[in-house]
Amino acid sequence: MTDSALLLLQAAADSTRAYGEFPVIGARAYVWITAEVHLMFAAFVLGVPMFAVVTEAIGIFGGDERYDRLSKEFTRLLLVAYSATAIWGAMLVFGLSTLYPRFWAYLTTIFAPSMWLYAALFFIESFTLYLYYYGWDRWKKGKAKLGHWTLGILLNVWGTIVMFIANSWLTYMMSPPRDITPTTDPTTIKLWHAIANATWMPINVHRVIANVVFGGAIVGAYASYRFLAARTDEERAHYDWMGYVGNFIAMSALIVLPFAGYWLGREIYQYDQSMGITMMGGFMSWLWVIQAFLIAVLFLTGNYYLWIGMGRIPGAERFRPYTKYLLIVLVLGAIVWGTPHTMIADSKELAAMGGSHHPFLGALGVMSAKNTAVNLMILTTFLSFLLYRRANTRPVVPWARTGTIIQGAMFAVAAAVVLFYGIRGYFVEAIVRIGFSVYQVLAVLSCIVFVTVIDILMARGAQSLGAIRWGNMPPRSQYALFILAVTFTWLMGLMGFARSGIRQYWHVWQVMQDTSQYAATPALGYASKMISLCVLIFLALVAFVFWLGGLAEKSTFVASGEAEKGARHVGH
Amino acid sequence: MWATNAKIVGIVLGTLALYTLIANKIPQVQSEVPQALTLGANVTPEQLVAAGEKVYTGIGGCTTCHGLGERAPNLLTDEKGQGPIGARCGKREPGKSCKQYLYESLDNPTAFVVSGYQPIMPVMTKQLTPAQVWAVIAFLEEQGGTVDVTASDIPATSPTSQTSPGGGGAGGGAAFAGGSRDPKAIVQAAGCLACHKLDGQGQVIAPDLTHVGSRRDAESIRKKILDPASSVTKGYEKLAGIMPKSFGTMMNAAQLEALVEYLAAHK
Repeated sequence: MTDSALLLLQAAADSTRAYGEFPVIGARAYVWITAEVHLMFAAFVLGVPMFAVVTEAIGIFGGDERYDRLSKEFTRLLLVAYSATAIWGAMLVFGLSTLYPRFWAYLTTIFAPSMWLYAALFFIESFTLYLYYYGWDRWKKGKAKLGHWTLGILLNVWGTIVMFIANSWLTYMMSPPRDITPTTDPTTIKLWHAIANATWMPINVHRVIANVVFGGAIVGAYASYRFLAARTDEERAHYDWMGYVGNFIAMSALIVLPFAGYWLGREIYQYDQSMGITMMGGFMSWLWVIQAFLIAVLFLTGNYYLWIGMGRIPGAERFRPYTKYLLIVLVLGAIVWGTPHTMIADSKELAAMGGSHHPFLGALGVMSAKNTAVNLMILTTFLSFLLYRRANTRPVVPWARTGTIIQGAMFAVAAAVVLFYGIRGYFVEAIVRIGFSVYQVLAVLSCIVFVTVIDILMARGAQSLGAIRWGNMPPRSQYALFILAVTFTWLMGLMGFARSGIRQYWHVWQVMQDTSQYAATPALGYASKMISLCVLIFLALVAFVFWLGGLAEKSTFVASGEAEKGARHVGH
Repeated sequence: MWATNAKIVGIVLGTLALYTLIANKIPQVQSEVPQALTLGANVTPEQLVAAGEKVYTGIGGCTTCHGLGERAPNLLTDEKGQGPIGARCGKREPGKSCKQYLYESLDNPTAFVVSGYQPIMPVMTKQLTPAQVWAVIAFLEEQGGTVDVTASDIPATSPTSQTSPGGGGAGGGAAFAGGSRDPKAIVQAAGCLACHKLDGQGQVIAPDLTHVGSRRDAESIRKKILDPASSVTKGYEKLAGIMPKSFGTMMNAAQLEALVEYLAAHK
């Protein structure tokens, strides 16, 4: 028998054992749903401990017990969420091993030791969490409290390592080292060589930040639900404050996320230009218009929440007239950012536009315009935060007026730099234009850092115009937090589809081809339905988990009358 | 509380419905798996055009430059009142029919370069099979013109080929540049001039290669081709990573050495 005949026989034998089928929804949909919902829970249980430990530290070192209680409440949400993460992870693994056995065998051959480590760390992580939560009231003071806080840090360390390990498997699928080919025997591939692939670290960093954003958004939604369900003013005040903190954390981390995304995109291009082109200019190009729309929703809703929040701050009336200008900048920025440019268009569409680009919109769809728009949106959001922060204080330092003028000048200079390089980008070659985005980002980040420093110094001994009236928020503000949570979750599903979909018909890019009936990568319409379904499953389960938590909880809230007698405590 | 719960559920479902609706309203493009393309003796013009469109937007990679109308003329839209490529192709070169001109553009792209553009197009007959080439010609003819490609134009030697409508890179290997060891043919087939300038031709996106031999020896050039990330020319750090890493797997050893020798001689 010839070699080619043997190969054909081998291929046929491989194919017969390569794939299983799942009833009704099919194998791909099963893996899609289990992987996505598992990932959403995983992001939640990794993101929440990060700021649980930060807020606990603020409580310990700042002496404000509210933060300690907030931290404990965050952690309480984790307990059941951990179980859900594990259950969905198990469903995913069973699905992969029965529906994609050849591919799963390939991955396990390379990554088996890391999978054992993963399981061990997950075990350790779970028990660290139990100690962290159940030891909260026991290790409450002095050195014991510091020890407890250390447990929180350890929880984050284990969780991050677990995530890094899992990331290595999926990034290997995207960007296997170039010396690995379809004929490479997987038993000969060194574990670390496979782990340290081109997109591993960018994904790690991107996910760490994204998890913080996600955790903040879900906690915000939880707080908003509890706010709406609250029976006492104290309860309402507590959950209003919790929602604010969750939103603040989510929006702050969101501002940094695009830079990590840029690094990841750059690594993808560097690894394989055709993969990058598929992602940005190929069949996925419309995805970025949807992404722009979602991020515009996030910016607008996040700012809207802040502006409504000013209603509970005495002294904020001074700044209210400015919000309409901020809104105009945000809306214009969102329109520019969402302008399509490099799209696959058919001949009819091209003829309708009169060219490859729309004569007017084409000019706004280029990166010069988009970078300018997004940087101005970030500056605007920061300005919203600044006005909110300063709303109930009047600075008393002698240089307050000068400081405010300097702050204003910094905003003006940053905006001018962003606009200058945005406009100049139209008149220079691409090689020069690429570098301009760095100057724009540096201008915005410098403005954020220096203006914040000045603001902190200026707030020393500031005259209070009255305490923030926590709990004094209209219900629509809480619904805004829900929209934020849904949008963050949907965006996560969308970008997961982008990351996974650019492999197209490869299980492992250019190493192991997907020869199943589901090898084609679906269009965005189908993907959006799957994403919505996953988000719905996740949110329904999270709601159930939180409801369960509420059932077990014995509220320690006290009526407002009693609270005034000295029971200042709000929370649990 | 039930009213509040209902409102929350409504907001969640409404938000999900809105995003799903928008994603379903935009153009739907699915990335297909490569399929065998069989063009038999009875192939119709419609079949040729359909196959050609897939190659044009997929494995041919044509839209990377022609889709934008910046690096190369946009072939699907009007240019200076002459109509799309099917309408203008017969008027490009005196004495050449539309079909002849289009084939020449794919087989010998430097023979005629449209005014205002650089001769950066790779030799597509070295990257695509004859069936794919003729299917693309039929598709381009159909853009404002008349399709006159028939099965008789397609050599019988290569009846099948791979076509990937959703994109993906062109396959490399033995057929690269037709196995030619002529460095100019290799430079052309690899599309080096899409970014580099060499002997007055090409783009200035990446370092000019006209005197590359004076700053790199043969070993360094070889290493750079095989592993572009191994070194970056000063002043081009921001473009590090743009150069494809696939050239080492696309060309054979003899081609690589011919190219290295050729570039190293550019002192």
